[in-house]
Amino acid sequence: MTDNGSSRGGKPDRDRDAESRELSCEEAAKRVFEFLDGELPPVDAEKVRHHVEVCRRCYPYFNFERFFLDYVRERGLKPRRSRDLEERLRRLLEEAEEP
Amino acid sequence: MDAKRAEFEAEALVHLDLLFALALRFTGGDEAASEDLVQDTMLKAYRAWDSFESGTNCRAWLTTILRNTFINNLRRRQKRPASVAYEEVAERSVFAELTESAAEGGFFNRIIDEEVIRAIEELPADFRVPLVMADLQDMGYQEISELLDIPVGTVKSRLFRARRRLQRRLYAYAVEMGYVE
Repeated sequence: MTDNGSSRGGKPDRDRDAESRELSCEEAAKRVFEFLDGELPPVDAEKVRHHVEVCRRCYPYFNFERFFLDYVRERGLKPRRSRDLEERLRRLLEEAEEP
Repeated sequence: MDAKRAEFEAEALVHLDLLFALALRFTGGDEAASEDLVQDTMLKAYRAWDSFESGTNCRAWLTTILRNTFINNLRRRQKRPASVAYEEVAERSVFAELTESAAEGGFFNRIIDEEVIRAIEELPADFRVPLVMADLQDMGYQEISELLDIPVGTVKSRLFRARRRLQRRLYAYAVEMGYVE
């Protein structure tokens, strides 16, 4: 089903559309995080978006990286209780209280 | 207890566990350093409490103070940043190695929180700090560049490498645990 031979090294699988030829898979992949972070200038972001939409190799790849970033964001900051920090802070605040 | 302290405890102290988690990510899991960092943050916030506009985002205000305090301490410690040689690790996405059924990344969800957290905390500081800022504090490249005093291109490449390392480590763990074929 997938013609891997033609997608390696550059051109998207279904590059019938002239615009999609502007970016190779390699070029799109290099910008994956900048794209997902919303850090690309609008013109470049549009090129990547267009490539990914029509490329059957990059589409699942970009989805995978997006999933991974969301995953890190969601799982990376679970609140954690410190054993005696709260007690220590309440004491310090009490001491710092203005007379 | 005076009104200021009561108000501070009600509005700021409730974010303690989140601040401690963030401090641990920044310090790479150093509990004593994280406690000190949270303590400094809270005392600074308390002293500046009159300038805090009630009703605005207290959590965001506190995490900003914590981050800036961490950066200032970092700068004080390393006046001239040493150039560190990092062990070469594969920096390709694990995506290329996945079977079709694993390609959506669902296997990551089976990994316990503690392992995810350990993997972040064990990244080298140069990679970990930009990652914490971008992914846990939602900061942009430019802002990170200014805070860390490094070029935007360096932020970009460190972030890229940090995410790749993290992904590879979690993938290796998932393979080891039999979560992915």
